[in-house]
Amino acid sequence: MRLQQKLDDFKAQFESGGPPHNAPKSIIEVFHRATEELRQSGLAERALKNGDRAPAFILNNQDGNSISSTELLAKGPLVITFFRGHW
Amino acid sequence: MELEALQTALPDIQQLGANLVAISPQLGRYGRSVHRRLNLGFDVLTDLELQLAAQFGLVFVLPDYLKTVYLQFGNKLDEFHGENAFRLPMPARYVVDQQSVIRRANVSPDYTRRPQPGETISAPEELTKAGG
Repeated sequence: MRLQQKLDDFKAQFESGGPPHNAPKSIIEVFHRATEELRQSGLAERALKNGDRAPAFILNNQDGNSISSTELLAKGPLVITFFRGHW
Repeated sequence: MELEALQTALPDIQQLGANLVAISPQLGRYGRSVHRRLNLGFDVLTDLELQLAAQFGLVFVLPDYLKTVYLQFGNKLDEFHGENAFRLPMPARYVVDQQSVIRRANVSPDYTRRPQPGETISAPEELTKAGG
C-alpha cells in the first residue's frame, strides 16, 4: 500500500474516536488547530528548498558512531529524511 | 510508517548509488530502539537540540495547548530530546546532490502528509542520469 494511503487510513481510524486510540474529539481538534496554525505561519515556505545549499553535518548514529555528510556525499547523492521520532 | 516505507525503498536508493539517513531530535537510545525494532538498513541520526533541523528551517515550538496534550499521551519530548524546549522539526525529505545542492525538497507543516518514497527515488535517478 502506498505510504500516504497508510497515513490516511491511520488518520481516519484515529479521528473516528474508536479503539484502539479512543481519541476524544477535543484532542483531535487540538491537533487540527496546531497543524493549521503551523501551516498559516508559513514556516514550511521559508525552509530550505530546491537549489539551496544543504548544510554539512556530523551527527551520531544509533550505535554512537559519528556520521559525516561530507563523507556520504563523496560516495553519491544523499537522501535526508527529518522525522519527529517514534513514540 | 515513513521509516518502514523508506526501508522498503532502500535497495532502489542504494542501487542508484545514493545513501539515506533519517534524522530526529531523539537522543541516541531512542534512535537505537527504533533502529532495532524496525530492523532498518540505514542510519538513524540524533540531531541534538535540533541544531541541524534549525539550519534547514524546520523547527517549531509546540504551543502550550499542544504540549499539554502531548504530555497527557506520555510524549515526554523533554526526556526524548534532552531539552525542555518542546520543539519539533516539520517532517521533511531532501535529496542532496554531490555538490551539496538540494535537488528535491518536501517539507510538510501537516505531519499526516508525506511524499511517497518513489517520488524521492526519482530524484537520485535524475542525478545519476545527469552524471552528477
